[in-house]
Amino acid sequence: MNHNLESFVNRTLKSHGEMAMQDAITALINSSDVQGRYLDNSGVDKLRTYYQSGEMRARAAIAISANASPLVTQAVAKSLMYTDITAPGGNMYTCRRYAACIRDMDYFLRYATYAMLAGDVSILDERILNGLRETYNALGVPIGATIRAVQSMKEVTTDLIGAEAGKEMAVYFDYICTGLS
Amino acid sequence: MSLVTELILNADSEARYPAPKEIRIFQDFIRTGDQRIRIAAILAENEQRIVQNASAKFWERCPVTPSNSGNPRKTASCQRDQGWYVRLVAYCILAGSEKPLTEIGTVGIKEMYNSLEIPLRNLVEAMRCVKDEAVSLLNPEDAVEVAPYFDYIIRALS
Repeated sequence: MNHNLESFVNRTLKSHGEMAMQDAITALINSSDVQGRYLDNSGVDKLRTYYQSGEMRARAAIAISANASPLVTQAVAKSLMYTDITAPGGNMYTCRRYAACIRDMDYFLRYATYAMLAGDVSILDERILNGLRETYNALGVPIGATIRAVQSMKEVTTDLIGAEAGKEMAVYFDYICTGLS
Repeated sequence: MSLVTELILNADSEARYPAPKEIRIFQDFIRTGDQRIRIAAILAENEQRIVQNASAKFWERCPVTPSNSGNPRKTASCQRDQGWYVRLVAYCILAGSEKPLTEIGTVGIKEMYNSLEIPLRNLVEAMRCVKDEAVSLLNPEDAVEVAPYFDYIIRALS
């Protein structure tokens, strides 16, 4: 597409409000705004719950970001390393494919952390899941093995951040898995 | 958009986790959650009163203006819009960011009111009156949270 036209189309889409990432707060604001209302009582309760869980979210994000690389290593070791997938003929055989796999796991962890901070799954749809299954299928990346690896990442992350924050992170890991399957 | 989304998108644009400073900003923001909910509730409960009192003051300062022209439809739609801005300010307080105002109510604001033939200078005066009324209902600690958003609207109109 012609570059000028492209930027025009992007601007036009933006000015007419294309779907964008939401968080727990903006989701409530957006649904109130279309009705021209203030937040109702249930909205305020949800907001209060989010504010109150913020400290837990912040601490979990700090712990995950400090341990992102070992978390991916552990998750891969738990789920993929000692299976046929890393042997000749497997989709993780060759360093290049192995590297691509851990890079993707890195992405999943980082975006799940963003979504956990936001208290909303929309960034996962927008930045990760949109077209991912089709891409994996085209590249021959096995979906089942990917899901097992994300589930392992959920376990090792919960071990790190504790049960309460782990339960919240699980929402977003599971959302990735559901989106892939 | 809120402060939370903003910091996530910032981090994502550099493919990194939120930096310590960003996490600290997030923590400071959520720690003031009760205050934010309180302010938004006061604005919601008093929107009508804020707009009515502000109009009375505004018409004293600026008697020749569409909302004071004797046409009840014009009065109603001007006051409705002012009420909307009070609501958008309440959203901003909850979001910790002026983005709800920008996205819903300030991008295109001059063009829109120009095309409606509302004199912008009068609108600025009206918005100052709305700000004064809103701020007068709040304690000093809450008032400093609210005032900058009204200033932001006024700046967008000037």
